[in-house]
Amino acid sequence: MTSSMHMHSPTNHSRRDFLSGLGCLGGGLLLNTLPSFSAQAQGFGDYKALVCVFLLGGNDGNNMIVPNDTAGYGKYAAIRGDYTRTSGAVGLPRSELLALQPASGNAAFGAHPALTHLQQVWNAGDLAVLFNVGTLARPLTKAGYGNCTLTPDNLFSHADQQAQWQSAVSQGISRTGWGGRLADAVRSANGAAPVPPLVAWGRNDLFAIGNSTMSLSVPSSGTFGLTNFGGGSYRSSISGSLNQMLQLDRGNALVASAQDTVQSAITSSGALSPILSGTSSSINGFFSGQSSGIAQQLLQTARMIEARGALGVSRQIFYVALGGFDTHNSQIETQAELFGQLSPALKAFQDSMAQLGMADQVTTFTVSDFGRTLKPASGGGTDHAWGNHHLVMGGAVRGQRFYGQFPEHALGGPDDVTSEGRWLPTTSVDQYGATLSRWFGVSDADLATVFPNLQQFPNKDLGFLG
Amino acid sequence: MSTADAVRLLEQASFGPTLTSIAEVQAGTVESWIDRQLSLPATGYAGYPVMEATQSIGCPTTAIATCSRDNYSLFPIQTRFFRNALAGPDQLRQRVAFALSQIFVTSGNEVAVTYAMAGYQQMLLDNAFGTYRQLLEKVTVSPVMGRYLDMANNERPNPAAGVEPNENYAREVLQLFSLGVYELNADGSPKQDGQGRAIASYDQDTVEGFAHAFTGWTYPPKAGRPVRWNNPRHFDGPMAAVAEAHDNGAKRLLSGVVLPANQGQDQDIRQALDNIANHPNVGPFIGKQLIQHLVTSNPSPAYVARISAVFDRDSNSVRGNLGSVVRAILLDPEARGDLKTAPDYGKLREPGLFLANLMRGIGGSSDGVYLRARSTVMGQPIYQAPSVFNFYPPNYPLQGTLLVGPSFGLNTAGSALERINLLARLLTGPVTADSTVPGAIGTQLDLGVWQVLAGDPAALLDRIDLLFFHNTMSFASRITIQTTLSTIPVSDTASRARTALYLALSSAQYQVAQ
Repeated sequence: MTSSMHMHSPTNHSRRDFLSGLGCLGGGLLLNTLPSFSAQAQGFGDYKALVCVFLLGGNDGNNMIVPNDTAGYGKYAAIRGDYTRTSGAVGLPRSELLALQPASGNAAFGAHPALTHLQQVWNAGDLAVLFNVGTLARPLTKAGYGNCTLTPDNLFSHADQQAQWQSAVSQGISRTGWGGRLADAVRSANGAAPVPPLVAWGRNDLFAIGNSTMSLSVPSSGTFGLTNFGGGSYRSSISGSLNQMLQLDRGNALVASAQDTVQSAITSSGALSPILSGTSSSINGFFSGQSSGIAQQLLQTARMIEARGALGVSRQIFYVALGGFDTHNSQIETQAELFGQLSPALKAFQDSMAQLGMADQVTTFTVSDFGRTLKPASGGGTDHAWGNHHLVMGGAVRGQRFYGQFPEHALGGPDDVTSEGRWLPTTSVDQYGATLSRWFGVSDADLATVFPNLQQFPNKDLGFLG
Repeated sequence: MSTADAVRLLEQASFGPTLTSIAEVQAGTVESWIDRQLSLPATGYAGYPVMEATQSIGCPTTAIATCSRDNYSLFPIQTRFFRNALAGPDQLRQRVAFALSQIFVTSGNEVAVTYAMAGYQQMLLDNAFGTYRQLLEKVTVSPVMGRYLDMANNERPNPAAGVEPNENYAREVLQLFSLGVYELNADGSPKQDGQGRAIASYDQDTVEGFAHAFTGWTYPPKAGRPVRWNNPRHFDGPMAAVAEAHDNGAKRLLSGVVLPANQGQDQDIRQALDNIANHPNVGPFIGKQLIQHLVTSNPSPAYVARISAVFDRDSNSVRGNLGSVVRAILLDPEARGDLKTAPDYGKLREPGLFLANLMRGIGGSSDGVYLRARSTVMGQPIYQAPSVFNFYPPNYPLQGTLLVGPSFGLNTAGSALERINLLARLLTGPVTADSTVPGAIGTQLDLGVWQVLAGDPAALLDRIDLLFFHNTMSFASRITIQTTLSTIPVSDTASRARTALYLALSSAQYQVAQ
């Protein structure tokens, strides 16, 4: 990336983290200084990648990880019912659950029956479960819920909660995402690589927007690049003029931004097209038979990691997404179908990493808008909620373990902020992201910039890595 | 009015200027052109047969091969969208309805029955210039919306089964179709409390209040069948009310309004929609988005405030008259004039508008098949957004600035290059017709007039500058193109015409309409 690619604001605003001060905390979170990352980032001697898997729409974690002891399952089933017995119920029968035997202790939890591949990854020690993670401004008790200064803005709203998960800013509006800020922090380690540190597949989401780093969003199909135009003798002059036009008339901020996207696309496509075509990849076979979008995105991610040497990168962040989790109706069928895509794709990815000798250097983690109500809603689905369970996968993960506190399955109970089973999170997005970022190599000083709200939480490393 | 201003108007109020439409505007005043447009009936989506909701019944294995595409996908109306955009006389209605389809979003991802989505889009066309309240009601009782956001067959609380009413439509109608999450000033900025905090426009209890108020609606019955609860999916006509499935408790709504218990389903929905439509947020929330769709991504607060005032009360004292709102948006000083030079002005053309604009400006013909396919590749399958949050959020940040650029949310590296590749493809030759599509003619540009001009690069660039840049192309851009043309022999008029159009229309200077 050349510096001209991110210096195009004609309005003379300093490039800082633009937090507009909306919401509960007013200007309290406003960052007034240009983030300065320590030069230490330049010195990584190894390769690491983070793969963020966004389950768009709000995955129902309550059916992803289900209590599997008699008492716990009883509470779950009392509220969710059993879909095999009652029309409109969204509870899974206990007999269908896949046991998640922890490294030590009893198997008190089971996984959704469509997660058979992930059960294998769990058994191999490469998967961990985090209980009840969510957007938080600070540690919060039920008594503090609803207090404007303590509670995240616009809970239960897709757009707002996605933005808060992606920005790690839960009060006020952030114009950058934590993936983008993480990319800012490690960018110098990649030298003059033809691709930026953060690559997304076909989506432009807030997660990927940095203060100074433009991310790259490319189609996972692998078809990507500028086609030639013009007869042989004119071709090079037309191509030269096309590039020249990209440098002109940059006084308008929108024009300049559109030009930067084209420039970055042209630069990166030359390097990426041979990789994404996959013709010389050694890991294609792990994904054979999988036609889902999530499998395709993870396959392309694996190919790029395979080509890390050619690309000259030492730190990469990938953003992959699977949509359809907003299960207001027909949840049983929909979630099983989506997990049926997700589970084998994640395992194929992990197997690919092992084949490449990269298992310990690549960590994959899930995020989602929010969890869903434990209580069913009309139509065989569930409504928007808050705290949610998540998965972390990789060789560096201290796997086959559960982290955090499982919420008490009681409507209106100690963990429910309403009366439909909306869990008050006991672990914040900030803590989750910071644990991943520390492993990634970000210094404690830089962490405070990537996660401006991390200081609110005493425990800054959840211990699931390394 | 000047030619440049006429071109700008047609950028904002149509699918792109043509020499004919420029002359049409200049034959009268801006007002007279807009008023005529407001009165034209919709070129719409009639003529799709009512089908069974289930494809396996509607298209049995013995059906013709194209049965599924032509009755259970958006293919027919996505191609028709482009045909209407290229040739429909009701350009303003088409533009506004396209904007409305991206605010009151339903998607072919969940409702792919062709006649159903055709009916929904026809409804948006027909109501584009009526009142907001009327539109809101049509949207709310539409079976397509009922299916998309689960209002169809949404049942009153069932304590025995432990089931609550579905909150999906109740939440999104507030968040996306009317108010947004913060209370707004008339200029679109969020209101603040004494401590400088934004104020939420509703809370979870309000969502539940509306969810209860909206219970008891089911799909319209098939012809000759009675209305009963849990009618199967059917999309011919508005949803039907079923009293016994409606919650008869009191419901807490917005602005301190409480619907009393036992007043009945019709009264409940009427008052609930009145409650929403009368909220002071609607003017700035809907008005600003219409400005962003038609004119510019970052309107000044004063512009938004002027539109909010018209929304609140037009010259005939009508609240929420969308025709008056659209008229005011287009007549505003921030929209009119020969050019705008503010560094934050303009909007990135979204794929659908880009494709229609270039086809109309260059001249050519299309059955819509190719344009449909390319808009999909660029991330904008028409009427088929990935979620109710549309193809992009209205507040998508323009990286490195304090601005928003909604359609930049779609402008991935792949999508940006596809714009240029699409030009290369169409300028090189026709796309042949798909013989399985009735009446197919393929897609082709007519470069004849451009080739005539190509002998004189200055004249060629003048025409490009007029039709695509409303005479604001920079000297540097012009020289760059002209220099390239000089490397091509004068006799090769085809290459000259193609090259000039390729360079001009692939530029960000054109992609961002100002």
